[in-house]
Amino acid sequence: MKINYIALVVSVLLIETTAMGQQETRKITFTGAARAQFYSDYYQSQNEEDTITVPKLNSGNTLVDLGVIMRPNPQMEIQGMVRVRNDYGGFWGAGVSFDVRQLYVKGVAGGIVRYQLGDINYKLTPYTLWNTQQELISNTPFSFQQQTDVVNYDHFYNNDNSWRQQGASAEMAFEFGKWIREIEIKTVATRLKTTDFSQTNDRIFSGFHLGLVQSEHLRFGFNYTNVFDIYGTSRSMATFHHPVMTVTMNYYRKVGSWLHTLEGEAGRSNWYYKQEQDDSIPDWQGKFADAKYKLRHSDNGLYGSVQVKYVSSDFRSIGAQTKRVNFNGSLSAFQRVGNAQVLRPITMVDLMRESGLYPTQLQTNLMAFAPQYDNITPYGEATPNRQASIIKVGYENKKSPLSASVTYYRGQEVRGEGTTTLRGFERYEVDASFNAGRFISADDKDASVQIRVRNDRTSRPGTESVPGINLSSRTLTAGMDFEFKKQWHLIGAFQLLTYTGFELKSIKDFNDEIYNFSELNLEGSEQLASAGFKYSFSDKAFLSVQYYKFFNNNNELDEALFTDKQWMLLYQINF
Amino acid sequence: MSKKLIFPILATILFLNGCKPEDAFDGPDLEDIYGPFFVSELLTISDESIDLASGESTRFNAKFSKNLNWKLEIIGLSSGARHVHEEFSSIMDYNWNGATSILPMFRQESCEVRLTFENQLDTLRDTLAVQSIRPLQGFVLSDFESGVNPDWDPFIQSGSNMSFTVRSNGQAAQGNNYYDMGGTVTWDWLIGLLDIPASAYNVEHFPLSNNPSDVYFNTMIYKPAAYDNGLTLIQFREDDNGDGNYTSGQEDLWAFEISGGSDGWSTISKRYSDIVTLVNGSETAPIGNGLHEPDKIVKVSILFLANPASGYSQAYLDYITFTTGGPLQP
Repeated sequence: MKINYIALVVSVLLIETTAMGQQETRKITFTGAARAQFYSDYYQSQNEEDTITVPKLNSGNTLVDLGVIMRPNPQMEIQGMVRVRNDYGGFWGAGVSFDVRQLYVKGVAGGIVRYQLGDINYKLTPYTLWNTQQELISNTPFSFQQQTDVVNYDHFYNNDNSWRQQGASAEMAFEFGKWIREIEIKTVATRLKTTDFSQTNDRIFSGFHLGLVQSEHLRFGFNYTNVFDIYGTSRSMATFHHPVMTVTMNYYRKVGSWLHTLEGEAGRSNWYYKQEQDDSIPDWQGKFADAKYKLRHSDNGLYGSVQVKYVSSDFRSIGAQTKRVNFNGSLSAFQRVGNAQVLRPITMVDLMRESGLYPTQLQTNLMAFAPQYDNITPYGEATPNRQASIIKVGYENKKSPLSASVTYYRGQEVRGEGTTTLRGFERYEVDASFNAGRFISADDKDASVQIRVRNDRTSRPGTESVPGINLSSRTLTAGMDFEFKKQWHLIGAFQLLTYTGFELKSIKDFNDEIYNFSELNLEGSEQLASAGFKYSFSDKAFLSVQYYKFFNNNNELDEALFTDKQWMLLYQINF
Repeated sequence: MSKKLIFPILATILFLNGCKPEDAFDGPDLEDIYGPFFVSELLTISDESIDLASGESTRFNAKFSKNLNWKLEIIGLSSGARHVHEEFSSIMDYNWNGATSILPMFRQESCEVRLTFENQLDTLRDTLAVQSIRPLQGFVLSDFESGVNPDWDPFIQSGSNMSFTVRSNGQAAQGNNYYDMGGTVTWDWLIGLLDIPASAYNVEHFPLSNNPSDVYFNTMIYKPAAYDNGLTLIQFREDDNGDGNYTSGQEDLWAFEISGGSDGWSTISKRYSDIVTLVNGSETAPIGNGLHEPDKIVKVSILFLANPASGYSQAYLDYITFTTGGPLQP
């Protein structure tokens, strides 16, 4: 095969960074964001006269992320960003913190290799390296989403599902004359843990992607990630190893007005310790396969997809299965409540604003999850022990104010837990939005209504002695955004979660082996309603004042019956 | 067949293959947690009169309705000796060779057999008889049944209440006799010692394997509840140069200490290769060639020590033996 041309790299890159393009760019650019946020909370127990918990809590902070982008030459860009934060109530400098928020060097070496050193955002595929959105509070109406966005911004959770890591990456591509159009190569290596010189080794994440573009219709990919300890960096004789290998295929074909897409990914994983004297540590070897057929009409806006997937019980991929939310984390607002000062359970409000629930590092073991929030896909696409079919039908047309989709998920476990009988899973979700702005006003004002309904059900028949599982949860989300005057928005939202049923939650040891089960008799609800105003200074700056009222109730804990009223002031500007 | 169909067909085959239900499951069996418990086959004992001296053993069998944690206890009604075996299963098929979990060792006596189950009220009981005690294991330095070997070389300080003597009062860990070490010495840590030369057994060196990882020194030691201040130091002198004698300061002297621990009898077993050189209780560099050579041991010394300011101290010794291939199984 004749290679016509090497070094494709990367006009897209040049546009993306704006630093290395053809146009003249400044050698130094300032970038960043500023934010002021204030909460006023009022907690009220509904079950008893709580004379211990202080009911009112005011908190907030002002911060500035100030970054400098330096371009010493057209092929290099250096960014440093510091965060200056001042908590409200700090006095004469108390409560003020200075942190380095990000630091990286990137550029193009020899016109061929694109590289980045330092802080990097990276993703590969949903089964290798993928930052899945948090449950329940993602893609919510703006009134809620503005709080989630603050948490996401602070933890570098980007919309592209990338993970923020520290390390190095390099990418390059080769273009060919015929048979194969292009080969792209991507590599990344980051450090997940640093040695403590005692029992913790240096732990490295490495990734590799080889993409083969056969034509505009067909492309293949080979992906490999490995998390491993470097032996000798501590006194520990055991080293962790976790390779994941997948292949992908994408096929596109337009027939008439219909675009047909076929996507597939399949692979294997391994999770083990080496040189470990204790033979009780398991060696998890898993596999998965996922195929999706999509259809979209280019004119009338109809689309649909059918997906089938199989993820074995032993499939592990910490780059894709690490959750954003650490359900074992601790709360900062009203951490203990009631006269007994018990730990307050995590609720949907906490998911929106509690920074301490969100880790930034990949976790070696499967993290805890809340079955009432998501018992079907708690670890995203890569949730182990699932085989399922997913059908989605939708409508989205720029000429129409209405867009809607219906998703149906039906699946079951691959391997039972405590029994050979498998759990069955069923979910249907309806999303609809009505963006009437362009149709009711010549000024193109915002006027939108959004509604979503999701029903989840987990079931498993019982036996004479073993109780059956039957857990269902329903989520109703609605929101509106009405620009009643130029740049002035009236916004509001409502979310109701109800759940009921019985589930046997597996309890796992440090090696992810199930050693017991915990009975969950769940029955409860969470309601969050909000209303307020937003003033948009520009696309990059707004001021928002919101009032939230939250009601929580569950049968597990008397102290879980409470209401929380909250005022929030948020000023945000990106520059 | 169109090439376009290959991938969908392969994907479907792969998926359908994955849909096969697995026979295995993760975690403990839920039937074991929630299922009803009953004994489906009662406890049976294959030999209710067991002659341990001739190497006999007896087998316990029973069946239960589900897997659960069960505990089998064999309790000597005269000695108080206990053998305990715990297991998670639904079938009991256990062979007992007379081994002891909690000293003293079983004697010629009647024993109670008790089978209990975790989180269940049921207890199954039976009895058996031990006709003879287990044979001694390894190269036995002494079990004190015939008193102190006359070729040993004891040294006893002239303190008060000194009791370096063999006793036979029903408290022995093995057999009938044990060695009582006790006394008060106000001017020295050493209360008394026993030097056990190889010559006491008519050999130049103790007849042991030359593989230090294979040789274990074992003894049974008793700590009275009233005294915590005793410290027993065991020393091993090697004849590195093969002249038949140990030369102080030139040849290896390995040692380990026994102190603290729980009240009552316990079995101490130490692999010879794990024993170090001690000076005033601290590990130090070997004195001789630095090689653990059990086949060159010419003398074992047992020193009983206590802080002179701590008053009376006491400990008992029984069943001192070298074993090969593993520690002593009492």
